[in-house]
Amino acid sequence: MITAGIDIGAATSKAVILNNDTPLCFSIIPTGSSVVKAAAIVIKKALLKAGLSMNDLDYVVSTGYGRKSVSYAKKAMTEIICHASGVNLSMRQARTIIDIGGQDSKVIRLDKDANVINFVMNDKCAAGTGRFLEVMAGALGVEISQMGPLSLLGKHPCQVSSTCTVFAESEMISLRAERKKLEDLLAGIHRALSRRVVIMGKSLGFEKDVVFTGGVAKNVGIKKILEEEIGLEILVPEEPQIIGALGAAILAKTEYCNSSRLNK
Amino acid sequence: MTVYYDDLFRLCGFEDDEMGKERLRVEKVLTKLELGPAEMRTARDWVRQNHDVSLVGVRKLLGAWLKELIDLVLAKDEGKKVVYFSFPSIQGPGMAIKAADPEGIYCACPDMVLCHTMGQIFNKLIPILEAGEENGLPPGHGLCSLQQIRVGGLAKGIIPMPDLIIGQSYYCDYGAKVDELLHEKYGHPVAYVDGCKDSKWGEYPAYLPERIKFLGEQLNKFFDKVNETLEVEVTSDAWGKAMAASRLLFSGLGRLTQLMTADPMPVSGVETALALNLSAASTGRAMVEGPEAVSILCEEVEKRVESGIGIIKKGAPRILTLFPAISDASLIHMMEEVGLAVSATLLSVPLPKASQRIPYATPTEVRAEAEMRAGLYHSSFAIAKRFEDVAKTLKVDGVIWGYQHSCRPNAAGSHTIKKWVEENTGLPTLSLEMDFFDSRYYSAGALRTRVEAFADMLRARQASAGDRR
Repeated sequence: MITAGIDIGAATSKAVILNNDTPLCFSIIPTGSSVVKAAAIVIKKALLKAGLSMNDLDYVVSTGYGRKSVSYAKKAMTEIICHASGVNLSMRQARTIIDIGGQDSKVIRLDKDANVINFVMNDKCAAGTGRFLEVMAGALGVEISQMGPLSLLGKHPCQVSSTCTVFAESEMISLRAERKKLEDLLAGIHRALSRRVVIMGKSLGFEKDVVFTGGVAKNVGIKKILEEEIGLEILVPEEPQIIGALGAAILAKTEYCNSSRLNK
Repeated sequence: MTVYYDDLFRLCGFEDDEMGKERLRVEKVLTKLELGPAEMRTARDWVRQNHDVSLVGVRKLLGAWLKELIDLVLAKDEGKKVVYFSFPSIQGPGMAIKAADPEGIYCACPDMVLCHTMGQIFNKLIPILEAGEENGLPPGHGLCSLQQIRVGGLAKGIIPMPDLIIGQSYYCDYGAKVDELLHEKYGHPVAYVDGCKDSKWGEYPAYLPERIKFLGEQLNKFFDKVNETLEVEVTSDAWGKAMAASRLLFSGLGRLTQLMTADPMPVSGVETALALNLSAASTGRAMVEGPEAVSILCEEVEKRVESGIGIIKKGAPRILTLFPAISDASLIHMMEEVGLAVSATLLSVPLPKASQRIPYATPTEVRAEAEMRAGLYHSSFAIAKRFEDVAKTLKVDGVIWGYQHSCRPNAAGSHTIKKWVEENTGLPTLSLEMDFFDSRYYSAGALRTRVEAFADMLRARQASAGDRR
């Protein structure tokens, strides 16, 4: 059975193609200005890699903020449920997921059967999200992929007092004018973002295993501070950005089986 | 001859004879509110989109709100003395003033009337909010949107300047602060009902008798001010009439609450809110016609229950919320679209019985005692405890603790109340930051992912409970 999961996020769109429980391939593209276009391109790329066509897909589930715009998906599900499912495929001991994406951040608590038992999500502010890092990277002229490694070199993290992304950007410019070291600025930025997420997640509590997903999980600086703050080791899947899409593909399999059973 | 607004008013339950009688007044009001043919078309679509107008009871309730708007806008022009109270408000004083001089007084919570009419019917609330922001309550300061609506309504001249404001800080200190600012700006008198909401965690439903005495005295002081300012004496007889009118509405609401426990849920929580919120807004015509509309609605809903008709799938998880829809029905509709039966609010079940038998001497003390038992005026713990009691009584599957982000008494308990309800009911509880009165920053779309995930969680829980059985 071939299923696909499509995660249309604010920053990137992801597709995962699954053969039963085995991931065949995935694709990641920037979402850009049209979610409909992104949904069409991301699946096309994944199918090309797998040597498959649309007709080979038995069931497609979409997720992410643009989940309703995926015309070829038979069902749309929330990122929260999809992340739980995606993490459970390879990390069955996971009890807490920290997911930081481009537009939102969440902490999700799971039971032993990977059911979501509680969750908390940032409200309407970009401060605890990947967008915060993107804006700061722009303000400091640093490649986003370099931010994490450079932040680890900071010996005296700057205090970033603004939790608002726009005001923090102005604050960066002022701190740069004061000739603060780039590494210390980055360490401060990473601490500010991580604190937002930890404070949010503390209302649920962190129980091990803690798994970190979403594009920001690729940032070693954020991972290190999160570990320090919550006092637990954090596991990062090999490709953390596609966990939502992977979960959607797994749920697509379940949906397909359920619908086949009903049709019999 | 049909006029451009006839369709909308008929959709909202107006009968031919009422149209005839009200026509001049309706036209005056629509002119004042700058609502022309285009706005009527928008409103017609908006009402159809948000309300189940196949139910006569719903149409009559919408009509009751429209009549309240007409009476509000024209109150001063028609020689009435105008009295405003705020939301939430201690039940009774407004009703008692109105009962003391039914012909001479118009008394209401104007912001709630605007929410239900300019919001839910005309979808024209934003210009009023913006006027509030331009006239003393600027955006970005975490200020209460309901108060912005009141200030905006006054600034735009669409609601009349009051002759007296009932300033109450017993639950919400913010309303009293805005009343003070409005007094500075417009000079109208304010009668304050001073209060104190400091209770110990765990105290509810018990309370210190001194608090009842104090609130009773405050209400008496307030009525002295009413007498002095409006020359209206609130007698025991007026109190009796006021309480009888409230009881009439609440007895209908009790019946509706029972019907909402049916599976599948027979009618949207948006419609029951139209009925419930009347008690927080009106003391006049809507409180007279509201109970009749509720009675019609109950009969219609009863038929749906008997036939097994519902607006949501049978077996859908049933949830309890703090307040229902106020200015924007799309929030509750979104919850229902993702498969949740929004069947109950914190106000859906009767108050606990009085635990102390202290003979309170005056009608105001009796009122104060009942208010304290209702929970909202007692403490944050009381809100948590009421959630527990209502959730257990109505056997709901989950709680959405949607709190007003700009409300200090509300938002302070965003985490603590959620945790307490979860621990004491075993029910999943979603703490949802929202705005009951202004959905510009908290639209249904913005809140959807959280609510949808919560619905998935409740369904998974139901499924695993089913598996265990």
